[in-house]
Amino acid sequence: MTTALAQKKKVRINGCVASAQAAKYADVDVITAYPIRPYTATMIALAQMVANGELDAEYIVADSEHSQLSIAHGASSSGARVFTGSSGVGVQFAYELYSPISGTRMPVQMMIADRTLDPPGDFGSEHTDALSTRDMGWLMGWACDAQEAFDNHLLGYRIGEDRRVLLPQMVCQDGFFVSHITTDVELPDTGQVREFLPDYKHPYPLDPRRPVSHGPQIMPEQGPPLQLERARAMEGAVPVIEQAHEEFARIFGRRYDPWIEEYMTGDAEVVFFLQGAHGVTARYAIQHMRQRGAKVGLVRLKTIRPYPTDRVKDVLGRFAVVGVIETNLGLGSVSSGGVLYAEACAALYESAQRPLVVSFMAGMGGEAIVLKEFYWMTQKMLEAKKRGKIEKRTHWVGFED
Amino acid sequence: MPAIKVERQMLPMFASPNQGARFYNPELPQTEPFVPGHRTCAGCGPSIQYRMTSKAAGDNTILVGPTGCMYVANSSYLCTPYNVPWAHTQIGSAGSFTAGVAAAYEAMIRKGKWKGPFPNIICEAGDGSASDIGLASISGALYRNHDCLIICYDNEQYANTGIQASSRTPYGGMTTFSPPGKMVPEAKSLYPKDLARMMAAGHPHCYVATASVGYPIDLMNKVRKGLNHKGAAYIMIYTPCQKGFVYETPRSIDLGRLVVECGLYPMWEWDPEKRKFDYSFRPQNMRPVSEYLKLQGRFGHLHAEHVATMQKFANMQWKMMGVELPDALVRAADVKNVRDMGAAQAAEAVALTV
Ligand SMILES: Cc1ncc(C[n+]2csc(CCOP(=O)(O)OP(=O)(O)O)c2C)c(N)n1
Ligand code: SF4
Ligand SMILES: [Mg+2]
Repeated sequence: MTTALAQKKKVRINGCVASAQAAKYADVDVITAYPIRPYTATMIALAQMVANGELDAEYIVADSEHSQLSIAHGASSSGARVFTGSSGVGVQFAYELYSPISGTRMPVQMMIADRTLDPPGDFGSEHTDALSTRDMGWLMGWACDAQEAFDNHLLGYRIGEDRRVLLPQMVCQDGFFVSHITTDVELPDTGQVREFLPDYKHPYPLDPRRPVSHGPQIMPEQGPPLQLERARAMEGAVPVIEQAHEEFARIFGRRYDPWIEEYMTGDAEVVFFLQGAHGVTARYAIQHMRQRGAKVGLVRLKTIRPYPTDRVKDVLGRFAVVGVIETNLGLGSVSSGGVLYAEACAALYESAQRPLVVSFMAGMGGEAIVLKEFYWMTQKMLEAKKRGKIEKRTHWVGFED
Repeated sequence: MPAIKVERQMLPMFASPNQGARFYNPELPQTEPFVPGHRTCAGCGPSIQYRMTSKAAGDNTILVGPTGCMYVANSSYLCTPYNVPWAHTQIGSAGSFTAGVAAAYEAMIRKGKWKGPFPNIICEAGDGSASDIGLASISGALYRNHDCLIICYDNEQYANTGIQASSRTPYGGMTTFSPPGKMVPEAKSLYPKDLARMMAAGHPHCYVATASVGYPIDLMNKVRKGLNHKGAAYIMIYTPCQKGFVYETPRSIDLGRLVVECGLYPMWEWDPEKRKFDYSFRPQNMRPVSEYLKLQGRFGHLHAEHVATMQKFANMQWKMMGVELPDALVRAADVKNVRDMGAAQAAEAVALTV
C-alpha cells in the first residue's frame, strides 16, 4: 500500500510529548493518570488533547498509581486500548498489579520516564524504578531519544496486542535526558498508523454477550501450566517483535534492530554495554576517544524483556572487554553494583569466547555521564585487556582515582 | 466520527412489601447469574446476597470480585459460579478496577466499538476490602462518578484469611486478631467504622444505602435503584458469616433481621437528588441487643457491662434514625438490668431442664 506521505510532519517536541502523541496516534480509549515527575508532562499533554477534542478517550485522574494500574487492568480486560504511565516511586506504588495484568494477559501499555527512587528521590533518571519490575511478565525496553520513544509506543501496542503475545508493555525512556529534551520528531500519517496498528480485540473480554471468568482462584497444581503459558508468551514474542520491526520499517521508513544497536564496533576491542539515553552521549564520547586511537565501541540493549540472550552472547563475545554501564541499583547483587551485569554475564556463560566483563556505576542519581568519565572507564577497560584480568567487578565512577 | 449516544438500562422496582423475607415472590426474575455449586460454607450470608444482587441486576451485567471469600470460595479454576462476565481483582483495587470497566464501556460505546445498552457494572467487595485496603480506590470511583454499583458485602471481618478484625468488626466481636483476654475482656474494643455514612457524606452525588439479607426485596430494590442511578452507587449489605460469627447455619436470614431489629444495623438510603437521608425503614419489632448477641459464639465472652455498652450504642443509632426509644431498651442499657435479665433467663432455663 502506498501511504499518504504528505501527511507526515516534523515537529520539535520532548520525549514526554512524543509519548503523548503516540498515544493519540494509537487512538487509545482509556488513559489513567497520577502526577509524578518527570512523566507527568505526558499526561499534561494528553489532558489537553482530550480537552480540545483531538483525542476521544476517557481521561481518568486516579487516586494513586495502584488505582491507575488497576483501572488500566479493568479497562483492558473489557476490550479498551489503555495508556498509563509513571516514574520512580510511582512505578513501585503500583507493584502489586504488574503480575495480575500480565497473568490475565492484558496488553496494557505503560510509559515510564525514569526517576530515582527514594532516596535520593531527585528528579534524575535511574532505571531502578522500571527494572525492579523486569520479571513480572511485561515486555520492556528503553528508547534513547524522543523519536525512538514515539516509535516504541506504536511498536509496543502492535506487539503486545498480537494474539500470539497478549502481554503488557513498559515503554521506557530516561527521565530528563529523553523526557525533557526537545528534538525533532517525525509524526506519521494517521493512515500509516492504521495500517501498522489494527484495532485492539482481546479474544476474551468482559462482555455480557459472551460471559467469561477472568483470574479465578486455582489449586496449586493448576498454577504451573499458567506460569508456563506466560513464559511461552514471552518467548513467543520474539518472532512477533522481529516481524513488527520489519513492518514498521516498511510502513514508516525507519529501520531498527529490535534487540541491539551497535556503534563503531567493527574493529572495537572494548565496548560499553548500556540501555537508554546515555547511548547518545556514549556515541559522541566514542568518536572523541577514537580520534585519539582508542578502539572502543558501543552495544546498546534495546529490549530487555524478552532478553535477547543469544544476540547478547554472540555480539558481546566478539570483544576483549565489556564495560556494563548500569544506571540502576542492585544492592548486594552478584557484582554488588547494578543488575545488568549479571544478565550479560549469564548470557556470555555459554560463549566459547568470553570477554572480561566489568560493571560501571555511572549516571547514578540522574547525573550526565561526562566525557572525562567515558575516558576513565575506557582506560579501565584497556588496562584490563592488557592485564588479561579485571581490577574489580564494580567501579563506582567518580569515587575512585 | 461523531460520538454515539450511550443508552442506559432502567430496571423496574419490585412492588412487594419490603418486609417480606420468606415467601414466594412471582415477580422475581428467573435468571440466575450466580449459580449454586460453589464452595462457600453452608448458610453463607455473602453468597445469599450475591444471588439476590445478581438476580436483581439480570444478564447484561459484569461483576468484579476483589480478593475475599466471594472470590476465593466461589471461583475454582475452570469452574466458576458466575453466569455473567466476572473478573477477579486485587483486594485493594475494588473501586479502581470497576472504574476501568465502566470507563472502557463509556469509550467503546461512544466510539462505536461495542454496541448495546451500557451494562450493569457491579463490584462485590468484602468489608476488609471496602473499609480498609480498598477504601481509597472505592472513594475514587464514587468521587469520579463512574456508572457502576459498588457493594460492600459486610460480614464484619476478614473471613477468608481465617477471621480477623476489620474496621467493620463490631465492638465486642471476637476474631483471631481481637481475642478476649485478661487485658481486653470485651475482645474488640473499637467501634465499627461508619462506612456507608462516610461514603454518603463524602460523595453526596452518589446513591448510597444500607441493606441486609434479612430483607431480600428491599435489598434487590436498592440494587436496582443503585443501578438505575446514572453515576456511581454504593450499598453496604449485612451478610452474616457462620464461620466467624459462630451460629447455627439455618439462621442466617434470622440474623439479618435481628441485627436490624436490635438497632445494630440502621437501614437507610441517601437520596442524591434531595441530598437527604431517608430513615423511614422500620423493622416489625424492636428488641434488646442481647437477642442478637446470644445467638453468636463470637460474643460468647461478653460480660453484662459489655452488653449494656452495646445497648447504649444501639440506642444512639435508634435516636439517630429519629425513633422513639421504648423504656425496655433504655433500661437494657443499664448494666444492673442486664444482670437481672441474664439471671431471669438463666432461672428460666434451669426451670425448664428440671
Ligand atoms: C494485598 C493483599 N493483602 C492481603 C491479602 C490476603 N487476603 C486474602 S482474602 C482477605 C480477606 C478479605 O476480607 P474481606 O474483604 O472482608 O472479604 P471476606 O473474606 O470477608 O469475604 C485477605 C486479607 C491479599 N489477598 N492481598
Ligand atoms: S467463611 Fe463466611 S463469608 Fe466465607 S464462605 Fe464461609 S460463611 Fe461465607
Ligand atoms: Mg469480610
